[in-house]
Amino acid sequence: MSSPADVDTVGGPPNSPSPLQIRASNSLNSKSHRAPLTKQPADLHLLEYVHEPDSNLVCLICHAPFDRPVQLFCAHFFCKDCLEHAWRAQHDGRKTCPTCRSSVDPDKDLRPVPKIVETMLDELLVKCPNAQAGCAWVEQRVNVHDHVMLYCEATLVECAQHDCRLHISQKDFHKGCLHYTVSCEDCHTSMMKKDLEDHQRTACANRSTNCPHCDTTLLRLHLDAHIKEACANVTIPCQGSIVGCTFTAERTQTNLHEKSCPMATMAPHFRDQQARIERNEARLEPLTRKVGILEDGLSSITNMLYPANDSSTTFPVTNPLDPNISYSFPPTNLIPTPDFRLPPASFPPVPHNESHPSQPPFDSQVHHLLTLHESLRDEVNRIANALTELDGRTNMMVINESQRTKDEMLHTNAAINGMRMQLHWLMSATLQQRNSARTSAANGSAGGSNARSTAQGAGAGAGASVARPGPIGDFPNGPLRRLSDSTRQDTKL
Amino acid sequence: MFASKRLGKSCPQLQDKLPPGITLVKADDFREWLMDIQVMDENPIYKGETYRLKFIFSQSYPIEAPEVVFVRNDMRPIPIHPHIYSNGIICLDLLDRQGWSPVHNVESVCVSLQSMLTSNTKNERPPGDEAFVRSNTQRPRDINFVFHDNSV
Repeated sequence: MSSPADVDTVGGPPNSPSPLQIRASNSLNSKSHRAPLTKQPADLHLLEYVHEPDSNLVCLICHAPFDRPVQLFCAHFFCKDCLEHAWRAQHDGRKTCPTCRSSVDPDKDLRPVPKIVETMLDELLVKCPNAQAGCAWVEQRVNVHDHVMLYCEATLVECAQHDCRLHISQKDFHKGCLHYTVSCEDCHTSMMKKDLEDHQRTACANRSTNCPHCDTTLLRLHLDAHIKEACANVTIPCQGSIVGCTFTAERTQTNLHEKSCPMATMAPHFRDQQARIERNEARLEPLTRKVGILEDGLSSITNMLYPANDSSTTFPVTNPLDPNISYSFPPTNLIPTPDFRLPPASFPPVPHNESHPSQPPFDSQVHHLLTLHESLRDEVNRIANALTELDGRTNMMVINESQRTKDEMLHTNAAINGMRMQLHWLMSATLQQRNSARTSAANGSAGGSNARSTAQGAGAGAGASVARPGPIGDFPNGPLRRLSDSTRQDTKL
Repeated sequence: MFASKRLGKSCPQLQDKLPPGITLVKADDFREWLMDIQVMDENPIYKGETYRLKFIFSQSYPIEAPEVVFVRNDMRPIPIHPHIYSNGIICLDLLDRQGWSPVHNVESVCVSLQSMLTSNTKNERPPGDEAFVRSNTQRPRDINFVFHDNSV
């Protein structure tokens, strides 16, 4: 126990027990009414035995030496607890001997075992159940209960502090509550006060310790490295052991040996090779996975191209390099055995053959798909060319045709224009005549009939019949307009 | 607790002395063990083959029976036997709730299965194997087998 000045006290004991309390807790009286309450009696099934127990003293259910054994009338022995366990699990409520299955009446047929068996069991040497916590007690089994309950210093008891619920080993009980956090002065790890001493003795990396092999004193931190690389007294194998050298000795001896050992000189090269192989294997791994994914994709494409087609005859595509396939195929198709190794020859792969999904003949499938793809591409090219040609031809035809129509339209337009010109000429001529006629009519009515006949002649000259050559003399303006109208309509038609 | 205690005890024992034809493959934890068994005599159905057994222990082992099935991999087929389904499920009263007794252990189960194989002369699966394998989703412990054949 280090002095209080040694430790960085983070939080002091909440309430250090007064000397009176300590004395009270150490007195037999107080212990008997407080500490034993919290002690767990040793479980005999969990005990570690010094020697392998005689197989005749071992319960067949728990495979440990009997604990409170009982004997059935059929002379089979079991621990009392084990037997009750087994009977509780029997569903029909019938109780039978686990070994010979004869039915048992627990009231009558359970007998105590012979005294000699009990004595033999009691005399078995066991280790203290607190051996992990540092108790080295080894004694006859009969004493283990008393040892744990009364004497063992490593038995856990409830902390002396009333409001502290944690446990502490019995030997530290009188020190009061040690359940507060401190930090180790050497390595600054936080821990409970009760663990500090142990930590400094066995675990703290910044405390010095002795090398178990060569008595050098060094920090615990460096101990591993020292043993692995420097300690002269550690027994190590020759470096050539990876190539097969069997020499093993202390480091100094081994170093001498390695100078002359041919295998030790070869070892670095082998190690390099090994490392390279491992690297390559590691690289191979993702590649394999990639290939798998691609193969899956390919097979799904295949299935898409040839959906639900499992008759092998429509696709007689096999690997031309492997003539076995076509021979071996028919029988394997009839009896699909689980360890069928030959790749299925059918293409696409038959979906129900899933015993070796990773082994279909991808070579031939790939080959077939590629050629298929190639021919399809050719076909598409050809069609594209033909389309272009056709397109050009149609264009030319359309252009020719439209040219002709355009010409015709020009002709027609020209003809219409000609006619219009003519009409204009005729119309102006008629208007002139009429004007002159009106002036003459104003002069004398004798010229009236003469003018009418002239107007009729003008209508016939325009190639159209005059619709209603009304009494011109009564409405001189109306009929004139109508005449010109009807003439124009006629021209349009 | 009870299970791991007993299994922890029997594990080193098993590694030391196992009957011929039985090997411990994997016993990393107290939940699942793998064992290999071989049939040692000249039975032509099983000669030269090794079978892999999977034991699954519940918390209350050995009071409760472990779940034992054959498992298949590249090197280890499922043995052909009129009481072994092709998905590895074994119909044996010893492994059922009623037939189990806490005095059995991994070794004794392996020996029983070995002798069950050795004494078999029929190279066939149980009747209705295909339908059972296709439809079964239960764990072996939940299936109610009817034990009718006392010859094995």
